Amino acid sequence: MVSASEYFGNVWKTLSTTWGGMKITGKYFLQKPIPVQYPDERLPIPDRYRGIHYLEQEKCINCLACARACPIDCIEMDAIRHGKELEWVTFTLDYQKCMFCELCVYPCPKDCIHMGTEYALVTYDRSELNYDLLSFKGMSRDARIRKKEAEEKKAAKDAAKATKAAKAAPAEEAPAEEEKGEEG
Amino acid sequence: MSFLALVQDTITKDNVMGTPHDGGNFVTELLAKIRPEWLPEWMFILTAVGIAVGFIVAMVSVIAMWSVWMERKVSGHIQCRYGPMYAGGWHGWAQTLADGVKLLLKEDMIPKGADRALFWLAPAIVLAGIFGALAAMPLSYDWYFARMDLGVFTILALGSTTTIGVVMAGWASNSKWSLYGAMREAAQVVAYEIPLGVSLLCPLMTLGTFSLLDASREQATLFGWDCGMGWAVFTNPFNMAAFVIFWIAALAETKRAPFDLPEAESELVAGFLTEYSGIRWSFFFMEEYAAMFLMSVVGAVFFFGGFETPLTALMRAADLEGGVLYNLVCFGTLVLKAFAGVFLMMWLRWTLPRVRIDQVMTMGYKYLTPLALLCVLLTAVWEYVRYLVVG
Ligand code: SF4
Ligand code: SF4
Repeated sequence: MVSASEYFGNVWKTLSTTWGGMKITGKYFLQKPIPVQYPDERLPIPDRYRGIHYLEQEKCINCLACARACPIDCIEMDAIRHGKELEWVTFTLDYQKCMFCELCVYPCPKDCIHMGTEYALVTYDRSELNYDLLSFKGMSRDARIRKKEAEEKKAAKDAAKATKAAKAAPAEEAPAEEEKGEEG
Repeated sequence: MSFLALVQDTITKDNVMGTPHDGGNFVTELLAKIRPEWLPEWMFILTAVGIAVGFIVAMVSVIAMWSVWMERKVSGHIQCRYGPMYAGGWHGWAQTLADGVKLLLKEDMIPKGADRALFWLAPAIVLAGIFGALAAMPLSYDWYFARMDLGVFTILALGSTTTIGVVMAGWASNSKWSLYGAMREAAQVVAYEIPLGVSLLCPLMTLGTFSLLDASREQATLFGWDCGMGWAVFTNPFNMAAFVIFWIAALAETKRAPFDLPEAESELVAGFLTEYSGIRWSFFFMEEYAAMFLMSVVGAVFFFGGFETPLTALMRAADLEGGVLYNLVCFGTLVLKAFAGVFLMMWLRWTLPRVRIDQVMTMGYKYLTPLALLCVLLTAVWEYVRYLVVG
């Protein structure tokens, strides 16, 4: 048996605590959600993050130091030397094996292989994990974006130049157009 | 119009609103305008009924679809998440459609030991109850399927038949979890029908009508001024208390958290839904969301003015009453109010933990029922005093 004050006290407690809880959830409801919509947005990645490598191909001298330093032999490369020129045949890094230890980066005499910031290695087939660092794909996301931006800038510049040239001398229009076409 | 006036009116066999209660509905009226000469009467009636039924089925589907999406968004945001974001493009609006297609394509399983006929019938009964109850809901002053003088009774009576379907489902599944769930549902509904009905008596006394249309019209006037704000909760302070009781009982009726004991996924797997899968399972969910909507409509009509807002009053003043625009505004007002109620239900669901079965019973029998009766008494006193003062 409960007393009247206890009875109405219970009613009051129920209502006030419910309202207290609703205030909290209501506050959360109005606040901005925390999650990052992953594939569309990403959290900023620290500079020293050890992600997928990227290679500055024009600096590399095919010295094999990186391949030799790698404890699990992920790196394979081949190039043909024509005097001072190098003709690249292959430079692959097998991400099925790589453990992102960064040991391949330190011995490089030309400082041309780096750890990138890309980490998503999702593929449909395991063989696709054998990345060709010479190709566009092996580059880090940041490097890819930088390259794309540079290309876009260049294209815009060329286009501006072309229109300027076209305005200044309509006769010279044809070569300008050709140049632009090559860039594209 | 007060309760006593209603009694007088009933004695003198007069209509409360002085309008003809002919029972005609807007589908029939609309069809009658385009009815060809050669069409026999029975075919005409069948067509009208078919269209009305199709409309209600579509309404239930749309309500369920929108509510499920809303539930997921609301729960997400309350937990600082986004909820569905991709399906359909804009904030995952098509997520429920995708889920529906998935549920349709799923294998339709009936457990080996189940009572096939009952198992098959249970979702149909659950849905039939809610369809019937929704038919008693007016869409606006001139758009209704049936003009019912006892609309609120119809809604409550048909709405609680879904319990039979749930108990049936629990029994037919031949699983202990299902049976426990069904028993809990039965106990809960028996306990909470009383405060639900009794707390509704308060606004019924204030408004003096059982019809949803009349109740809404009644709330247009505040102190004799047609401003659309004479809502039952404003004209009588005890109606607010009655609304709280009504709302708690409605949550229990619709099996919503914190009273979702029939499902109670942490104790009973999924309660009466345990053995159901695919589209049959989704029927129970359609019922749940439609029932939520319906309870919110009843709450909105009897406590919060139904179709009435200052906007509708303004349109009446501008002599737009009866027009399509006026009816659309009425419909939109009711739907908005109802979805505000649905939002409140979701808010409560994602705030409160589930209560124990003995706590549910304590709350129903020891607290809500006596308090609802007290509310009725106080409302009656208030209405009597108002009758003496205002007349
Ligand atoms: S990061 Fe380590 S494992 Fe990967 S290629 Fe470089 S040395 Fe080999
Ligand atoms: S160590 Fe550097 S320069 Fe030598 S092969 Fe590797 S990437 Fe090229």
